[in-house]
Amino acid sequence: MSSHAISASPAAGANSGVNPLWAKLPLILIVVGGLGAAFDAFTNSAQFGYSYLTAFMFFLSLCLGSLFLVLMHHLFDAGWSVPIRRFLEHIAFLLPVMGLLFLPIAFLAKTIYPWMTIDPHTDHALHAKVALFNTKAFYVVAAALFAIWTLLTYKLRAWSLKQDQTGSAECTKALRKWAAGGIFIFAFSLTLAAIYWMKSIQHQFFSTMYGVYYFAGSVWTTLATAYVIALAMKATGRIPVLHRRQFHDLGQLLLVFTVFYAYIHFSQYFLIWNAAVPEETFWYVLREKGTWWYVGMIIIFGHFLVPFLSLLRIDAKLKIGLMVPLGLWAWLMHYCDMQFNVMPHFHPDGLALCLTDLSCVAFIGGVLAFVFLKYFNRHAPYPQKDPRFAESIAGSESHD
Amino acid sequence: MNANVSIQSYGLVAEFDTPGDAMRAASSIRDAGFRKWDVHTPFPVHGLDAAMGIKNSPVGWFTFFGGCTGYTTGMLMIWFMNGFDYKIVVGGKPLFSPFYAFPVCYELTILFAAFATLIGMCFLNRLPRLYHPLLKNRRFAAVTHDKFFVVIETADPKYSPVETRKLLETAGSRHIELIEE
Repeated sequence: MSSHAISASPAAGANSGVNPLWAKLPLILIVVGGLGAAFDAFTNSAQFGYSYLTAFMFFLSLCLGSLFLVLMHHLFDAGWSVPIRRFLEHIAFLLPVMGLLFLPIAFLAKTIYPWMTIDPHTDHALHAKVALFNTKAFYVVAAALFAIWTLLTYKLRAWSLKQDQTGSAECTKALRKWAAGGIFIFAFSLTLAAIYWMKSIQHQFFSTMYGVYYFAGSVWTTLATAYVIALAMKATGRIPVLHRRQFHDLGQLLLVFTVFYAYIHFSQYFLIWNAAVPEETFWYVLREKGTWWYVGMIIIFGHFLVPFLSLLRIDAKLKIGLMVPLGLWAWLMHYCDMQFNVMPHFHPDGLALCLTDLSCVAFIGGVLAFVFLKYFNRHAPYPQKDPRFAESIAGSESHD
Repeated sequence: MNANVSIQSYGLVAEFDTPGDAMRAASSIRDAGFRKWDVHTPFPVHGLDAAMGIKNSPVGWFTFFGGCTGYTTGMLMIWFMNGFDYKIVVGGKPLFSPFYAFPVCYELTILFAAFATLIGMCFLNRLPRLYHPLLKNRRFAAVTHDKFFVVIETADPKYSPVETRKLLETAGSRHIELIEE
């Protein structure tokens, strides 16, 4: 039923209209960022460790956020998100690459995580959490997380690619099954990752909202990124089937997650503030000292209020002049958020951005962009035989 | 009854059988530049807003300012009660802080925004309205069943008894009636 709609727009001309500099950018980032980061890794390994972790958690957000959007697509049997599904599958399948990129953190774990070198018998908080926070569990869990993410994202993409070939209902059914089980795996694994890799820098801290908090920020950043990628795909003619509806819905979800993130982060702060238990408050007390206080304010106003007010109007979600800067802004804000989570332990006096931070972002971003483009150019740019394909573009022609 | 009172006409009502017909008629009326007209349908028709050339409703502004009022009211109320008028220290916390005041302010934001939306909607639609000339028309009752009606008011500056009727006929209506005030 959907074949007539597809035949008009094959994947031909995938490389047309792209500036060669853009195509080389990932390699430039890998080389420049990699050299910078490698230099710092040997001269100042602690700074490198935290900078790398910040960048790693930032990009992990994008991969997990994309995985979430793919899972949601199948769970809700969604129609609108068919054209954006393929590139989200590719970004989610960057998780195995993230597994390789995790190696520096695995090597520097003893430098990054103080609990690894503390004797649990001298630290009550650590002793109480020793089942989770011991060196063996750290590595086993990390390996298990990447293994399970690799399997899940591989299956979600493989069945989707098979659907391109056969278009049979079997693919849709398999995708639904993987998504139904996958959402539980997703929730548990993301929470474990956030706790192990970010929260455990200050292992005394308690927050049951920490996983959801990381999740909310992750999906928020992913939605902004997906919007900008979709715009680029439409502008270069790679995914011509993107219409007003996809952009409107992405924009709307971005507004939703702007509010959701604020709600979660406020709730975490509010409960800790209200209860005033020292085991919890120390985390925020540290983050209200020095310039970290301003970073906190930037998160309140920049992560929430600015995007919230600018996305409120229904027509704002379709204004390129607003949405592209907002996408870049979302990256900046999420990176601020990651700094706010990772860095205060290492730089208690305040925000201390340095070249190492930039090198690590450039390096990881370059590697992921490089692999992503490889994936993207190898396969059809959007699902070809999805049963909801026609529905996803229906009615778009009249008021594109 | 005084026979000298001239009976004012309200507008032309054109009946259509399908949403598609009504939609096409709406587009042609929009393009002809009419301003005081409306389309009545038994159920919401997607794309009708665009076909009628209706812009985004200004009711959102009522919502926005209602919300702002609610937020400010909440903050001021809690500051006045806890930080100014009757100071009690609770749990060693400051007498006033936007943090503990926020949940209440947030709920007042929603409450006042909802009220403002409802009131704004009624105001913009000139509701409540106890009488409407269309409701006298027997045939118009089918609008709640299976018929689609396009109504052009005589008060529209573009209205002309002959031309407008012709326009509606060309749009495909088989039944056109002049409704009295």
